[in-house]
Amino acid sequence: MKVPVFWGCRILTSQYAYEMSVREVFQKLNIELVDLSETNCCGDPIKSVKDSAANYLAIRVLALANATGLDGLLVPCNRCHFAISEAKNVLNKNKNLDEKIKGLLREEGLEYNSYIKIWHVIDFLHDFIGLESIKKATQKPLKDLRLATHVGCQIIRYSDLGRVDNAENPRKLDELVEIIGAKTVDYAEKLDCCGAPLMYSHPSSALSLAGTKIKALQSLGVDGLVISCPDCGLMFDFRQKDAMATVGAKVNLPVIYYTQLLGLALNVEVEKLGLHLNQSPVEQLLMKISA
Amino acid sequence: MNVGLTDLMSMAKPNIEAREKFLSKLGNKELVNCFQCLKCTSGCTALKLLELKPHEIVKLVNLGFVDELASSDIIWTCVTCLKCVQRCPQKASPYHIIMVLRNMAVEKEVQIPEEYLKAFSRILETGLAEASQEVSTRKMEVFDRESLNLPKINFPRESFQAVFMKIMEEK
Amino acid sequence: MPRIGVYVCHCGLNIAGVVDVEKVADYAGKLKDVVVARHYVYMCSETGQRMIKEDIKAHNLDRVVIATCSPRMHEETFRKTVAEAGLNPYLLEIVNLREHVSWVHSEEPEKATEKAKDLVKMGVARVKLLEPLEKRRVSVEKKVLVVGGGIAGIQASLDLADAGFRVYLVEKTPSIGGRMAQLDKTFPTLDCSACILTPKMVDVARHPNITLLTNSEVTNVSGFVGNYEVSVIKKPRYVDEQKCVGCELCTQVCPVKIPDEFNEGLSQTRAISIYSPYAVPKIAIINPNHCLRLKYDKDVCGKCLSACEAKAINFAQQPEEFMLKVGAIILAVGAEVFDASKMPELGYKRYKNVISNIEFERILNASGPTKGEIFSPQSGVSPKTVVFVQCVGSRDKRFHEYCCRVGCMATLKQAILVREKLGKNVKIYVCFNDMRAFGKGYDEFYRRARELEIEFVAGLPSDIRSAPDGSLYFDVYDKGTNKLLEIKPDLIVLANGLVPNRDLGKISALFHVSRSADGFLLEAHPKLRPLESLTAGIFIAGSCQGPKDIPDTVAQASGAAAKVIDLLMSGVIELEPLTAVIDKNLCSGCQICESLCPFSAIEMKKETVEGVEKVKAEIVEAMCQGCGLCVSACPTKAIKMQHYTDEQFLAQVEACCSEEKTRRGR
Repeated sequence: MKVPVFWGCRILTSQYAYEMSVREVFQKLNIELVDLSETNCCGDPIKSVKDSAANYLAIRVLALANATGLDGLLVPCNRCHFAISEAKNVLNKNKNLDEKIKGLLREEGLEYNSYIKIWHVIDFLHDFIGLESIKKATQKPLKDLRLATHVGCQIIRYSDLGRVDNAENPRKLDELVEIIGAKTVDYAEKLDCCGAPLMYSHPSSALSLAGTKIKALQSLGVDGLVISCPDCGLMFDFRQKDAMATVGAKVNLPVIYYTQLLGLALNVEVEKLGLHLNQSPVEQLLMKISA
Repeated sequence: MNVGLTDLMSMAKPNIEAREKFLSKLGNKELVNCFQCLKCTSGCTALKLLELKPHEIVKLVNLGFVDELASSDIIWTCVTCLKCVQRCPQKASPYHIIMVLRNMAVEKEVQIPEEYLKAFSRILETGLAEASQEVSTRKMEVFDRESLNLPKINFPRESFQAVFMKIMEEK
Repeated sequence: MPRIGVYVCHCGLNIAGVVDVEKVADYAGKLKDVVVARHYVYMCSETGQRMIKEDIKAHNLDRVVIATCSPRMHEETFRKTVAEAGLNPYLLEIVNLREHVSWVHSEEPEKATEKAKDLVKMGVARVKLLEPLEKRRVSVEKKVLVVGGGIAGIQASLDLADAGFRVYLVEKTPSIGGRMAQLDKTFPTLDCSACILTPKMVDVARHPNITLLTNSEVTNVSGFVGNYEVSVIKKPRYVDEQKCVGCELCTQVCPVKIPDEFNEGLSQTRAISIYSPYAVPKIAIINPNHCLRLKYDKDVCGKCLSACEAKAINFAQQPEEFMLKVGAIILAVGAEVFDASKMPELGYKRYKNVISNIEFERILNASGPTKGEIFSPQSGVSPKTVVFVQCVGSRDKRFHEYCCRVGCMATLKQAILVREKLGKNVKIYVCFNDMRAFGKGYDEFYRRARELEIEFVAGLPSDIRSAPDGSLYFDVYDKGTNKLLEIKPDLIVLANGLVPNRDLGKISALFHVSRSADGFLLEAHPKLRPLESLTAGIFIAGSCQGPKDIPDTVAQASGAAAKVIDLLMSGVIELEPLTAVIDKNLCSGCQICESLCPFSAIEMKKETVEGVEKVKAEIVEAMCQGCGLCVSACPTKAIKMQHYTDEQFLAQVEACCSEEKTRRGR
């Protein structure tokens, strides 16, 4: 089965581990990911500048997906997923903008198809592939691991738009972690934001938000934090050192993409999952798994 | 950056026209349903560190202080976590209001955080908002896309730039 | 030759402010067959009505057209007026110059006046073709069905029974008392709820005119106003009501524990038990879904059989069916409490220390699960900080848009009781959006709460959090101080709103009563007819019509009872003659009309016509609501609607489009 994939900007330019692990895991699960013939930014940063242009960029992505002739579009980044979902919604309600953007797309020989289903990695694995199939494919269940999940903000909110999981009690990522053998914990800060969107205007406050959450997780004594968005990866993993510095605490928390964790359970080689690229101390976690 | 809201508000007078223009940009009128329950501010991610009070922003827009808000720095503190949109009992959505205010700031050519303009330039030039980086492992080895055997990025075709500029420049 | 009088009302400035009423009256006077045409400030007034009556006599009028406000307002009034002057009341036509002209065309007075003239012309054309009709009189049953045994049902039943009517009070649960029986104290007086309610409950049980059917439900309703036939099923208690003395020995020996519904699941009772403290009737009931013998249909357990000295237990008891004939029905089925697990961010059913207001009410109650002691569920000791959070599930577009009306007062009451029970050593906060203390003595009650140093925080929390050790904390922004307060309560009580009873869908279908957009039962008119449904003979009272407190519920219950008494008092009622009539000669017996009638007002009757047995449709006059569906559906045009015939309508169309229109300004 073939599924087009839109990576956005962050994954393609720095969060390589996420891309590597998604590619590996989907291949193992017999899904062929098809890259779009060309890519452009989903428009997220432009929302603050000119929202009609932002919507145009998002819809252009859908038009490029349409050009593959395939059903659906996998969007592994939370912010891209939200930007594209909202753009779809805006065009449904605003006939003028709908016509304008379609006109601009036609100038490039592109066509918008509003019926394309937008997937995130979490709901694609949980709802489309299904927990049972993942369980069957698991070769090395991750017993004895106690993990926390951070699903992020923009794929669970706001419910009226139709999101990937329940906004106040998201369970899909937890269930995906549990089906491969690990245990998940509930914690008070679960729905708190990683702060990534604030990096453009208030970087130290953004890092402080991330640091506060990591500090809380560290005191819970979990073996690691599971994420599924490159921006959350940027804050919790890539910049964990800086984040902890703003809140005056040590760096201690392994942060790992779900697809990297799943890859381990599916017996994919560690290097192919980009685990050497994680900046957080994932060795602690890896040692527990192989022990 | 630019001016604090308190200073901007000190001699401000309501502007009905600006409010009308704002409402037509927003496209809906739910913000007038806000009954100041303060739930949005109670749960605002940016409150403690940056003093963002979404309920205040909604009230100020409603009373016509759109220009002062657009010129202020407070609207750039929103983290876009969407909690206020999710939980508002009247669906007034402070987040969407803040985004329209940001667009207005850009239109008025008020100074906005540089990074947004840099992102715009990058998109214009390359199609992407970020530039490709080299990353290092925990053992200090350096990699990039190529050395990680990841496929090349398919940058947008030539026509993209001109069409994108078109919609950016439109009134 | 008809002799028509036309009367154009100014309705103060309501009509005259837009329409040139003088011109309209003038125009009307020139129409064919119009003998007299007048205009006056208020036609519905004493003077206006007298004018019409005198004209009928003086000018020998046999038709009257009144151009005024909507017929819904005064058609009845004017029908009485012309009847008093000796004219059949159905030879009257109301033309609506207010809702159809002045109120909707206020910006275009000239065009409005032309429209008014046209409407009057159409009215004149129709009135010529109206036929005299008589109201039909049917006898009624002087018996009443009251559905729901809460305070509304209890009050209505007592009022009706005292007035001499036989009342059947049907209650779904094993005891009457409803929500009020679950309350501890009532606001704003802090009366003990059970103390004021139980005497009434006992009165109901003892009253010779009231037949109390508990553990029962209505299964079918047919008939029409004054003559309803209702089927009620009384589910088996498996306990003989004549023998049980309410000693509760059976409960003590029963091995099966089940959640106690009356205590909102906060404690457990047994599979055989008495439903609630002060239950009326005080008779045990076996829950067939949990009792081992009944659930598995085997000869097991039976401990209650041996324990019962009165030999009242009967596992073979069957449901009983009753067919009741009643003249009117009062629906008093009450409301439910919002399930706050729909808002997981507030921690209900996730964190032990977050409870609902109805659960807290049972805790406060001396006969409740904790014998009236307040303690923090997590720790088991007295709380040091109690927080009330308002508007849970109410005033919220995501759940219920309406204000639940009682949440603020219930919280004030509970907060004051906490202060009274725990004294000064507890901090009490109320996080609110607005404090609504609107009734008699209510704002004084609010002041009393503030005097007891209950802190009112003007702001609602976004979420409630639990630390790893299970202790709760949350942030709330306070409008008054402009500060973010961080509160660590050991007990949080959510002010869950009242929501429509889950059975309202069933009730709505059974009794043919509509529901309003908020889900509660719909009243005939929100201001002027709050106690009647749109179905004649069926009344509504209490929180099934909308959330409300006890004073309003009791007022509505007595009001509904009065309306029933008014309806059934004389033993006869009059029904409008605006019904369908079938010409049997044209009826082909196709049954299309019977299948379409939403009120089951058409019956097929066998007839022998010239030796051949045929089936013909017949209207059950008393049930016909005059909707006209059958009239338009009949393929042979055998059905005609009285007072709304095709000829009458076509005459109006003709008048509207005719040549005369082109001769303007005459």
